Amino acid sequence: MNWQCILVACLMTAACFAQQEKEPPRSSEPAIATRPSEQDKARAAAKAPALNVSEQDAAKAAAAFLDWAGASPAGQREDVRRMLEQAREYKAIAAAFCDEANRTAESDFTRSLLALSLLGEMRSPAGADCFQKLLHRPLPEKGIVANGENVEQTKLAMLQAKAVDGLAYLRTAATDREVLWAVGKHPSRIVRAEAIEAYLWNHKDSNEARDTLLKYVQPKERIFVDRVRREPTEEAAVFNRKLTAFLKAHPEAVAPVPKRIEQKAEPAKPPKEDEPPVR
Amino acid sequence: MTNSWKVKLAVCLTVLFSTVAMRANCNQTTASQADKDLWNTHGCWQDFFLWQYQAYDMRGSDWGSRGWNDACNVNKEYPKHWNASYLLTYGLQDNWQFSFHGTVDYRATAERWDNQFHDDLYHTATDDTSIFGAFTTHFFGPNEVQTSCLLYDPNLATNANPGSRAGDFNHEGWHAWMDKYNWDNGSCGGHRCGTPGNCTAKDACDYFYFHGIGAYAFGAMWENNGTASRFHSPNQVQVEFLCDVADYPQSWVPNSVRLAAKSDANTRASTRFINGPGYFCGDPRPW
Repeated sequence: MNWQCILVACLMTAACFAQQEKEPPRSSEPAIATRPSEQDKARAAAKAPALNVSEQDAAKAAAAFLDWAGASPAGQREDVRRMLEQAREYKAIAAAFCDEANRTAESDFTRSLLALSLLGEMRSPAGADCFQKLLHRPLPEKGIVANGENVEQTKLAMLQAKAVDGLAYLRTAATDREVLWAVGKHPSRIVRAEAIEAYLWNHKDSNEARDTLLKYVQPKERIFVDRVRREPTEEAAVFNRKLTAFLKAHPEAVAPVPKRIEQKAEPAKPPKEDEPPVR
Repeated sequence: MTNSWKVKLAVCLTVLFSTVAMRANCNQTTASQADKDLWNTHGCWQDFFLWQYQAYDMRGSDWGSRGWNDACNVNKEYPKHWNASYLLTYGLQDNWQFSFHGTVDYRATAERWDNQFHDDLYHTATDDTSIFGAFTTHFFGPNEVQTSCLLYDPNLATNANPGSRAGDFNHEGWHAWMDKYNWDNGSCGGHRCGTPGNCTAKDACDYFYFHGIGAYAFGAMWENNGTASRFHSPNQVQVEFLCDVADYPQSWVPNSVRLAAKSDANTRASTRFINGPGYFCGDPRPW
């Protein structure tokens, strides 16, 4: 082998990469002729699977409903809520949502979250036990750490935060006790923050609810009780008024002036003339 | 061994290892529910990905083993990347009464072209799971936005969904904004080090520069006035994008995408800000 051979090999490799760079991505699947917007109507018309089924068929029906609800357009949010309200007494369906949340907690956060959201919205008493168990599951100590975050811990904590939403939405004395425990004692900030917000919202942001929260909240997290929430359908002026009031009450939340990257100071140049500088 | 042979050996090993490194991949056997639900809204729209790879300056040499030639397989990284771009490009309502920013802002932050938001960019993927993403400047050619397996593999992290992935395009794109205008956001990967103030995410902390709805006309997110009253940090841009996906999506956006975006937005807003928390997006009703 000599230098010429290596040079030729390098040039060929570079040429291959350059060629590959110019190639657009491709697929062996045939191109779809219709634009996505033309399929929206058909998708929105997809019928929801029934939930009033026998106990034996509950798991299958719950899974089908979950598939449908996940894919349902955001514009159908209220429709899904109504269906879940009607299914409140279907204990076997609630149990099946809980099972699916646990089954997919490790493998697909988005499906597990979906199952917990449906279960919470059902407001079924059967959900309380499921949420409680999930909420008290210890956070994993080991796991991948990325950008300062243990991603395994975050995954479980985000699901526990959704469980807290479900508990708070049940609005019973027992479930409120769990929420308040989470406000003060849960090891994850993610869960504590959600618990504060869920307790407030489910008590109509009343002064009593604030006073109660302040008894439980960790001292460093008192500011979370006053946090600005962007409510759905709340217009700009309302949100902006809330933000102004928040910043007035919490001047410490105003960020400091941003900093420029310090440019290295140029070394002083010698004088052009021979004379000493004028004193 | 003579010096010339050592050099030849080093050249060969470099070529060999760079090839091997390209072969390593994230899990390519699965996709999250949210990715699949969004995917089914377009069913692999080829016209879009044939535009998208140019708009994000993506190259076969970087994505060859990640679904470049299998662009309709939602289990692979490149299809997941363009799935997220699809959400970013079409998925927002852009309602000036409600939205923090408009699609024009988020697109200009994520896409390749030199503009008021950043200099030229290109997008790559990495198997490095110690990061979600990274922004790297290059002396020659465009700067690089990397996204890691954590944004593609649902077994690994919550972020393997279209909203979080597109949110990361905005996060890394905002580091590019900071670079363009010489802002110093900290020495730990472009963030403040440690866990100062109310931040709990070690070495990934930012300030939140609160602003009202309508404070920025759509297209003006790049603007600043040198003070905290008109400024953004990378985590903040990400939270505001995720909030806009969660609270004001187009009516066709799947609910699984909306829910995952909301969860990511509120988690990030609670944990990543020194002067936090940031805004809470939406209400805490379960569905």
